[in-house]
Amino acid sequence: MQRRSFPSLTVFLVLGVAGLAACERRGGCTGANCGTIIDAAVAEPGTLLPPSSEDIVANDIGEQLFLKLADVGMSENTLGDEDFQPLLAQKWEWDGPLTLVFHLDPRARWHDGQPVTAADVEFTFNAYNDSVVASPYRPKLHRIASVTQRDSLTAVFRFREQYPEMFYDAVYHMRILPAHKLRPVPRDQWRTAPFGREPVGDGPYRFVRWQPAQSIELVADSTFFLGRPAIRRLIWRFTPNLQVAVQQVIADQADVREQLVTPENVERVRAAKQLAVYTYRGNVYTFLSFNQRAPDDTTKPHPIFADREVRRALAMAVDRASMLKSALGDLAKVPPGPMSALLWIWDPDIRQLPYDTAQANRVLNARGWRDHDGDGVRDKDGQPLAFHILFPTTSVLRRQYALLLQEQFRAIGVRAEIDAVEGAVVNQRVGTGKYDTAILSRANDPSPSSGIAQSWTRAGFGGSNFGRYYNAEFERLVDRAVTATTRDRARPTWRAAMETLNADAPGIFLYALDNYAAVHKRVDNVQFRPDSWAALLRTWRIPPDKLIDRDRVER
Amino acid sequence: MTGAAWLLRRLVASVAIVFAVVTFVFILIHVAPGRPCPENVDRAVCDELTRQFGLDKSLPEQYVRYLVALAHGNMGNSYANGRPVGTAIAGTIPFTLQLAGAALVLDFLLGLGLGIYQAVRVNRLPDVVLGNVTLFIYSLPTFWLALLLLLVFGEKLRWFPVGGASDPILCPVVNSLYCVVDRLWHTVLPAATLGLVGAAGTARFQRAAMLEVARQDYVRTARAKGLPERRVVLRHQLRNALLTFVTRFGLAFPFLLTGAVLIETIFAWPGMGRLAFDAILLRDYPVVTGTALIASVVVVAGNLLTDILLGLADPRLRVRATTDVEAVTA
Repeated sequence: MQRRSFPSLTVFLVLGVAGLAACERRGGCTGANCGTIIDAAVAEPGTLLPPSSEDIVANDIGEQLFLKLADVGMSENTLGDEDFQPLLAQKWEWDGPLTLVFHLDPRARWHDGQPVTAADVEFTFNAYNDSVVASPYRPKLHRIASVTQRDSLTAVFRFREQYPEMFYDAVYHMRILPAHKLRPVPRDQWRTAPFGREPVGDGPYRFVRWQPAQSIELVADSTFFLGRPAIRRLIWRFTPNLQVAVQQVIADQADVREQLVTPENVERVRAAKQLAVYTYRGNVYTFLSFNQRAPDDTTKPHPIFADREVRRALAMAVDRASMLKSALGDLAKVPPGPMSALLWIWDPDIRQLPYDTAQANRVLNARGWRDHDGDGVRDKDGQPLAFHILFPTTSVLRRQYALLLQEQFRAIGVRAEIDAVEGAVVNQRVGTGKYDTAILSRANDPSPSSGIAQSWTRAGFGGSNFGRYYNAEFERLVDRAVTATTRDRARPTWRAAMETLNADAPGIFLYALDNYAAVHKRVDNVQFRPDSWAALLRTWRIPPDKLIDRDRVER
Repeated sequence: MTGAAWLLRRLVASVAIVFAVVTFVFILIHVAPGRPCPENVDRAVCDELTRQFGLDKSLPEQYVRYLVALAHGNMGNSYANGRPVGTAIAGTIPFTLQLAGAALVLDFLLGLGLGIYQAVRVNRLPDVVLGNVTLFIYSLPTFWLALLLLLVFGEKLRWFPVGGASDPILCPVVNSLYCVVDRLWHTVLPAATLGLVGAAGTARFQRAAMLEVARQDYVRTARAKGLPERRVVLRHQLRNALLTFVTRFGLAFPFLLTGAVLIETIFAWPGMGRLAFDAILLRDYPVVTGTALIASVVVVAGNLLTDILLGLADPRLRVRATTDVEAVTA
């Protein structure tokens, strides 16, 4: 008898297994609700419990699992309540200047079948406000005095004061939580509670599974009271590396990459036949923060940056437009102040310090910073005009900008040394004021009020105003702007406030990225709401004639 | 000293090493700058979290608490996601073993084969070519090779998946033969990255060992007796040159674990290396210390296993080890 040789046996086995595998791949779904979307996400959430997590992916998934009472519309108008879209709340009314009454939609159900009630709304507010829960959203709710239930479907919000964004504060920061699930869990154990990894929500999608460090899967709730989502299955696939995430989309192993970040990635995606590129306004701006307090003793002024004129000179020494062109091409804009393009106060005509190295040199000379010893670096009283630029090692873009800044400062006789450290170290050093300058990014929510106040007024001391910028006139203007009841009334005041801040140069506003997203061409009705790209995912759809294998798979 | 006593001594020493590593890592990560708070979080929120994590206590107190908990089998909970550290690590170990195992197999099978092939053709064209090729691969940074493989075989040719450990739609869990194949399919590129670099090193070591043994009298005697060349190489030369192989096997454990940190991150592989890497960035102290504990156990166990294998492979080493120990203790 002839023995089968080893190589042919191997080939036989491989073909057999491949055959079995091919059989397994057959899928069955063929209707209008068969789509699957895989998002190539570059981070994994810590938890899906909304009050405990502020990270972007958790928020994207939270949009599908947990509803707000109402949400901002595509206009992103946060003033008043006209432009808000009802979600859990079917309707609302004002009961006096400080009382807002929400009427819940009686059809709303938790995914375990329990009705969503006003008790859930009350419970949610109390939880977000509990210091033990340590919610990052808590500071944004301080003007709401209480939330109570009038009856099972009526929740009453009482405010401490009247202001134009009362409605926005009431609905935007909180996702309503199921009291019946979370009440038994002690608040100090919420971070470790299984609920955060296996949530029961009330949104258009139900939680299916979380494979740690791999993926999170959701499935459409066919009974969702606002209408069945068109896409049947959503999967967030975690890839800790942006380049690999982009490769997954290009290689047709994922359907969405919501931010491509670099011009190279945009070009690569454009070259992929199955992908379409969408643009939408970005919500992040990046700036060089000047610390106005001495890093070794934060009670004392910084020897360089406490001087407004020196800050202005440094700002004028930087050609932001050229830097942006070389680093980001057309993917970003130079922000006209501390704002991303998401904010409606964005106005390229806001007055900014010009790029003028001659003027920068004159100012530095006038302030006594001259190169007395001929070493190419200005000095005063024996101290060189030298400082460090801090940024996280993980950001290639910020490294690029740090090098460009270093070069531009060198041209006016200023020595900047680069400090690339881990993100956690940047956070700690910036948070405790132990830095000279740092390249930082800020994400805006749709309202200019809270973000700008927190980062650039005295309210942010000890918080996000790391550089400890203060100008009484600026604060007065901000206070006035946030009380304006319409955008038209607020705009001139915001503009004046921004021009005041720009003149003080508390930082150099470097770039505000526009978002470029890659989406598989078979997906229709793609809409991105700039403050939250995934907010409208439930309206995306894949027509039956465009379904591909992964859409049809039944399990 | 008996073999059992020697083993006992080695075990005690191993426990001491693991303890030292855990202590060192615990202190190092706690004194390293940075706090386990998300970016841009309000300072009051961060302070509250710090208190909840027990980081407001003194370092010695935290250390004692950690040791007490550890003695009860509790490695704490992750600061980042609240999961028990033991559960988080346990979930990653199968993936790391799968990757490291596949890489190890590739490393040693390919490396051994190439080393033998080169040794029997020493200084001839195939030996010279392979020598340069293995040197080239050995000198490649693994992250660069990883990105190259991803670009060519993942993105351009689409032969293999771009990252991940399984198809998230068809095989979120392994419940069929297809999913086993799928899992192996996803292993190819990361294992090839780790394994190819390792194999290049192994081949060079093995070639040198084979040539060293080739000069020995017993090999010459075997040839003089007229034994077939194949038998001389496999039975006399290779067998005695395997000591190098076994030693490298022990050394491969740290390489695979440290190399895996990078490779798991690039290939989005859900293993222990990526868990440790993310934990370090997030200052997730319990996870950092827990992964260091497990990694040190694996490395120490690997070396212990190597010593045992060496003793089994070469009785002379057993005698020497015993004598050395007796000389030291005398």
